[in-house]
Amino acid sequence: MRFSDELGWAFSNLRKRKLRTFLTAFGVTIGIGALVSMVSFGTGMQRNVSQTFRSLDLFNSIIVLPGDFLRRPGPDPDEKSVALPPSEISSTVLDDAASARIAAFDGVETVFPEVRIPALVRWNGEEELRVIQVLPAKVAASRMIKFSAGKPYDTDDENSLIVSSSLLLRLGVREPAAAIGKPIGISTIAFDFSLLSPAGLMAALGGEKLPLVLEEHEFVVAGVAEDLVFDGPGPMRSEVYLPPGPAGKMKRLPFTSIWDLFRAKEGRLGYSALNVRLSSPSSIEPVKKKIKEMGFGVFAFSDQFGEIRRGFLIMNMILAAVGMIAIVVASLGIVNTMVMSILERYSEIGIMKAVGAGDRDIRRLFFFESGAIGFLGGVFGLALGWAVSGIINRVVNFFLARQGLPFIHYFSFPWWLCLGAVLFSVLVSLAAGIYPAMRAARVDPVRALRHD
Amino acid sequence: MENTDLSLPLIRTDRLSKVYSTAKVRVVALAEVSLRVAEGIFLAVAGASGSGKSTLLNLIGGLDSPTSGAIEVRGRRISELDKEELALYRRQGVGMIFQSFNLIPSLTALENVALPMMFAGVSKAERKERAERMLERVGLSHRLTHRPAELSGGEQQRVAIARALVNRPSVLLADEPTGNLDSRTSREIVELLADLNRWHGLTVLMVSHEEALVREFAASVVRLRDGRVESEEVLR
Repeated sequence: MRFSDELGWAFSNLRKRKLRTFLTAFGVTIGIGALVSMVSFGTGMQRNVSQTFRSLDLFNSIIVLPGDFLRRPGPDPDEKSVALPPSEISSTVLDDAASARIAAFDGVETVFPEVRIPALVRWNGEEELRVIQVLPAKVAASRMIKFSAGKPYDTDDENSLIVSSSLLLRLGVREPAAAIGKPIGISTIAFDFSLLSPAGLMAALGGEKLPLVLEEHEFVVAGVAEDLVFDGPGPMRSEVYLPPGPAGKMKRLPFTSIWDLFRAKEGRLGYSALNVRLSSPSSIEPVKKKIKEMGFGVFAFSDQFGEIRRGFLIMNMILAAVGMIAIVVASLGIVNTMVMSILERYSEIGIMKAVGAGDRDIRRLFFFESGAIGFLGGVFGLALGWAVSGIINRVVNFFLARQGLPFIHYFSFPWWLCLGAVLFSVLVSLAAGIYPAMRAARVDPVRALRHD
Repeated sequence: MENTDLSLPLIRTDRLSKVYSTAKVRVVALAEVSLRVAEGIFLAVAGASGSGKSTLLNLIGGLDSPTSGAIEVRGRRISELDKEELALYRRQGVGMIFQSFNLIPSLTALENVALPMMFAGVSKAERKERAERMLERVGLSHRLTHRPAELSGGEQQRVAIARALVNRPSVLLADEPTGNLDSRTSREIVELLADLNRWHGLTVLMVSHEEALVREFAASVVRLRDGRVESEEVLR
């Protein structure tokens, strides 16, 4: 028998029993639709994260941490008694000198310290508490921040700042452009240094006196930043960015983590981290090595990306497993339909055998018919998955847009997913057709012809 | 002609037996039947129902396999063929027609006739052409696209005959071909078989208990009783 005849026979048989074909294939459609939308969600998330990495230039970024940060095994304050020799201590402080030394390395483009300050952001009587970030003008102008309105501040000493569109929305500003040039208030929470004696600290911790003072500053909005699609571990994690000049004059809490507090007490006040941007990813390893030799800890985002990829692989597999359940149920439907079909076409099988069909021919006809159901189910399932994920994407983005977040494609349909879904559907259906096909081939023509 | 020697028959059965046995019952359908069917003959097989006529035809047609004994067609032992070889033999060596026509109801007359050629791997265009010619020969060129339900009994049997002969077998096995037909149509069908026998040299083996038709058209008749050959009679 010719392959084209086997295919033609399979599809014409399905056409003859339209309702049953539709119902059986619809089961497959739902299964494949579920699988496709699950996997496309997984791959979509993965694509978004890697795009964010790329657009933020994270593959070119490393973070330098104080040397003692990584050496501390746990948050045990008593450990400070195991003091390092003074020479080593000074070398592990992330100060401006260390920053300048790193900036001089080959392949290093920019070095800027990680400085974050908790502050109240005020606008027309509205108030929001945020951790604001100090960012040199040079970095603010790089492609690490995307602007939806305005522009970055020109110098490090300007009294202007960059605010994110979602924070503006929370402060009641719908149109980012309307905020440009308008005044915005920043109130820093400063540490009352008079209490920095053991007795004073105890009193503060005991709740007798809050060791904090508020200090108000006035800024002008220079630019409105687009929100990040995914805020990962990157150097841009704030909703307000200040130039270093005015920020340096602010009284503020000198720490962003509890370790800073203890470092401050030891008189080893340095930055909690330095952000280093490199000219190309190939510089990562040599620069990392040199920084480690200086006694600092180094963290490269590209290393982390591998971890994230592994995480997504696991997520994709779990999502696919959920879709698989639906496929298994659908394949039982195929088995059922095909077995029913044998009973219905009992005499037809007998006739075909009488006119010269071999067991092999009958087996293949039934086998192909299952495969054809799988093909139809796969194609329609792909369409269903595409349609459903499109609707979900629109609905989710509708709500996100109300919070000032940009449009995100949560689902991704790469060619391998489309092709793989149909192919997989056909393969599963063929597998479901094995038993009915074997059974059809075993039909005894003498009995089948006596049937009526 | 491969078979010019008349001493070598087209079909020969040698002590052919078929026993159907279940756990409790053992039914002997055919007991040591030895037959010779000469090439080009119109042979009738007669007998009461249950005498083993259909079993004999199914065995010769390769639909069933014997419990013991042998069948030779053109000197080839078809009783020893495996399943796929037997399918090939059914496809090309014999054609069968039945009392209940056994057409596939969802297919048109043309598609039914073309079916055996599909299993033979004949191209679609050739299938259509040959099926059309075959239907024309049985007088149904005006019924090509009709389905079995739209045809009369006689027309259905003609379609079945066209289907049985489309792969050019050397023998036609007819299992009570007139059992479902009125007497006028019955005569037409048997006449068609006799014509095919006479003008195209087709060997016909027909099971029938319509004595009058057998006497009018068959060259000889074999009578079976309880699975055994009771008598053989040469009519002309």
